[in-house]
Amino acid sequence: MLYFFTSLYFGIIGAILALLMRVQLSVPNNFFLSAYYYDQAVTMHGLIMIFWFLSPIAIGLANYFVPLQIGAKDLAFPRLNAMSYWLYLSGGIMAVLSFFVPGGSADAGWTNYQPLAVLTPGSGTTLVYLGLVLLAASITLGSINFVVSIIWLRAPGMSLDKLPMFTWFILFTIIAMLFAFPTLIAAFALASSDRILGTVFFTSTQIQPSILWDNLFWFFGHPEVYIVLLPGFGIIANIVPQFTGRPLAAKNAILVATALVVLPLSFGVWMHHMFLTGIPVDLQGAFSIATIAISIPFDVITLSFVESMIRGRVKLLTPMLFVLGAVVLFIIGGITGVFLSSPVLDRVFRGSYFVVAHFHYVMVGAAIFSIFAGIYYWIPRFTGRMYNERLGKIHFVISFIGFNVLYFPMNFLFDMPRRIFTYPNIGNWALLNGIASVGAFIFAGAQTLLAANLLYTWFRGPPSPPNPWGSPDLEWKSQPVLTPSPTAPTDTSESPPAGGWIGQLATPASPATETHAAGAEHGEAHYSSRPIQLSFGAMIFLMGAAFYPGILAIGLMVIGGALFAVALGGWARDDLRHKFAPPPEEEGDRWPFQGVSKMKLGMWVFLSSEIVLFGSFLAAYIFIRGAAVTFPAPGSIHDIPLGTLNTIILATSGLTMFLAIQAIRQGDRRRLMQWMSVTFMLGSTFMGIKISEWVNLGSSGFTLSAPYPFNLAASAYYIIVGLHGAHVTAGLIMMVYLMKKTKDGEYTKESHEAIENFGLYWAFIDIVWCFIFPLFYLL
Amino acid sequence: MREFALALMYSGMLTVPPTVATFDHLLDWYLFFGVGAAVVVIGMLVTFVILYRDKGDNKPLPEHKTEGWKIVLITVMISISILAAAEYQTFASFSNIETPSQCSMVPDPCINISVLGFQWGWQFTYPNGKVQLTTEDQPLTVPVDKIILLNITSRDVFHSFGIVSLAVKEDAIPGRYNTLWFNDTNLGLVTMAIRCYELCGAGHATMVGNLSVVPYSTWQSEFGVNTTG
Repeated sequence: MLYFFTSLYFGIIGAILALLMRVQLSVPNNFFLSAYYYDQAVTMHGLIMIFWFLSPIAIGLANYFVPLQIGAKDLAFPRLNAMSYWLYLSGGIMAVLSFFVPGGSADAGWTNYQPLAVLTPGSGTTLVYLGLVLLAASITLGSINFVVSIIWLRAPGMSLDKLPMFTWFILFTIIAMLFAFPTLIAAFALASSDRILGTVFFTSTQIQPSILWDNLFWFFGHPEVYIVLLPGFGIIANIVPQFTGRPLAAKNAILVATALVVLPLSFGVWMHHMFLTGIPVDLQGAFSIATIAISIPFDVITLSFVESMIRGRVKLLTPMLFVLGAVVLFIIGGITGVFLSSPVLDRVFRGSYFVVAHFHYVMVGAAIFSIFAGIYYWIPRFTGRMYNERLGKIHFVISFIGFNVLYFPMNFLFDMPRRIFTYPNIGNWALLNGIASVGAFIFAGAQTLLAANLLYTWFRGPPSPPNPWGSPDLEWKSQPVLTPSPTAPTDTSESPPAGGWIGQLATPASPATETHAAGAEHGEAHYSSRPIQLSFGAMIFLMGAAFYPGILAIGLMVIGGALFAVALGGWARDDLRHKFAPPPEEEGDRWPFQGVSKMKLGMWVFLSSEIVLFGSFLAAYIFIRGAAVTFPAPGSIHDIPLGTLNTIILATSGLTMFLAIQAIRQGDRRRLMQWMSVTFMLGSTFMGIKISEWVNLGSSGFTLSAPYPFNLAASAYYIIVGLHGAHVTAGLIMMVYLMKKTKDGEYTKESHEAIENFGLYWAFIDIVWCFIFPLFYLL
Repeated sequence: MREFALALMYSGMLTVPPTVATFDHLLDWYLFFGVGAAVVVIGMLVTFVILYRDKGDNKPLPEHKTEGWKIVLITVMISISILAAAEYQTFASFSNIETPSQCSMVPDPCINISVLGFQWGWQFTYPNGKVQLTTEDQPLTVPVDKIILLNITSRDVFHSFGIVSLAVKEDAIPGRYNTLWFNDTNLGLVTMAIRCYELCGAGHATMVGNLSVVPYSTWQSEFGVNTTG
């Protein structure tokens, strides 16, 4: 719930920025905000709303209700969850802080089109970028946690076909996040390194860096739209039956459509953001078809929501009103989206207020209205009290009217460019903008009613019946404590005596216990201070990096780095001392992953996102190689025999790691130790050769300031190979830790999960090198 | 601006340039399908809410099938047919927005003008080598009833060159040359016809230009290549 309230806080910041913009645009030739402040407002409004409000608010709800819905005690990895939250907050602090540094915050639009964004002076933009990298890291950790929880922690009897729709859609969202966000990390890491280190990924004019950025950004950016939207659809699908009195129409069709069409296709439509960049007409046609095709599953989903009312008994209570509002707004936003899928119509609509209207209908209309529905629906479960129905209905009516007054006029502003800070009094621009600004204040004002209703419910609301909506879902089988302490919102629920929530369940696990009830040793995991130390360490370090160069920057980097190291060491020490014993694992419904352990599943999920991360970097490299007319010939820079030797060394270390695993599988701890030592030596040798190569390259003039194309080759080499080197180094550090544990007699034939998982990680690093070596040395 | 121009066109005072005709024709199709679909679906939603609202009686509800694959199939079929029809229209008009084929013929009847975007303005290079920056009294000047081919790039950051009254737009990207064409059929000066459609820094809002359409002979004497000598 901390997540939920933090995201509301960021939502308020984003809304204030939006109101500032609407004030500026309310009349023509206005100078309330200068272009300098307007551009910051428009950029940070987008970034904060999308990354620090919309996604996290859904994740906040999911954090509370997914474990309840699947009958788990908590998420799979509590400390990972804490880590995810603190990273999210750290990134947000950096983003907000950026307003107060000289030169102001990022101001190149939330899309950060290059090379404008890397050329913007000041450390504000860098702060935002590194904040985004932290946020993306937070999302990746959170995603691993949710995937493993949803497939591994389900209570007995909670088979996939009984999984509530909200949990299903959170699973879909998380999967999209898992594969989309690594590309965001790659894009903003490259841009940050341009800004800090002076690499030339987006400043080299020879390789059309704008196109490289567009591809990276939108490969992430389009799935992000669905990441924002899908939790809302999950809420709708979850709660509609309770208000229509009949089951959700075509439930399985919705699941199939989302899993098999929306998810994969969302990664195959990104070029519709690039119709006018001069891509070939055939590509425009292909992406137009893909884009229009992705609307078909949404037709199925929308119509199924509508059909779910047929022959039902529709109760127009506040949650249902917001559901209906979300569906209507989604229909409008979806259809304008079909307009935008046409490359020909895009010749007029691109970069205009028509686009602004479209994505606000989807990302504000559909997503936020359905999240409001979720808030009203679940607040009785959360507080044990009922919200005020009349106030809720008034909130809906004013929100719906305000929203349409705000955004509908923008559909007619298709000749007005987005992101202009002021405009002349021509045509109907003044009239339409004036109406929109009035709408903005109506819509924003309506949200005070939501705040009032939440506060009222919290402190004064009448006690709610245990299951006010007659829901079959598991979260309503447990009861919150009626008088919650507002300072500790997450700890308000108790575990009721386990009751059979579905008749056929033989031994229901006590559903929905929160941290306190789950037992001291488990609950304590939440109170580890390591995640917050790690996150703030990383944050301070990256702040220093953003201010680089300078004494303040170095100081911050040293402090941050030290805090990070101390926290990491402390975490390892806690583990060595068994401070946090993992709770005993219970039997659950894990199809189709019965045979896989929790940690291993987590490692696989993590590695799959790592594949996308390296894939994005390597794709960027391949793009650069394709776009650069001249490039240093193979062998002219890198020593191929030395590289080959190093490849053999790393490959051999993969083999010895495998032998180490084989040893412990047979229970031979001594041989495990021996093979791990060999692996460690080989890995260190690899890194040693690597460092000597770097020193040689650096001293022979292969630097970032070398003339083109050597600066480009150097940028790509140092950053991408450096990323791999960092992974190897992390692996070596982990190996030290594992060897220490081996020496303490930790691992046995039956229990050596950590070794197995490390083996996976090490093998992955080897495989990545098998791609890097030919790409950088041989081609 | 465009509404005003359109109103004049429909009242017969102006003729419709081909790029605008293509856009309007296609937009009509999309509006027909889009507004139609919205009205039908939102209409269904409202009808169902009214028909099946909670009337306070406690009659038991009829049994419901949980799966309606038949309805799903119908939804998909209808969606595909509407979307395919719309997409067909897009593809049919695609050829109209590509570079006209006669421009590759010799002698070249198309007029090539280079457009360079910069922070913050546009620079035009005419066939006779004359270079002009956009100012209030230096519009982009083109001859009437001729195919104009703009070769667009940028000197610094990502811009997007658009003349919405002619329904054309193309990104101006550093290191990359993109083309668009139009054929303006109406004489006259259109103020602020040219705008930048991608945020390009503090001057984005002021990156505007006028468009002046003049008779061919006038244009030829000032900007054209003098073929006679």
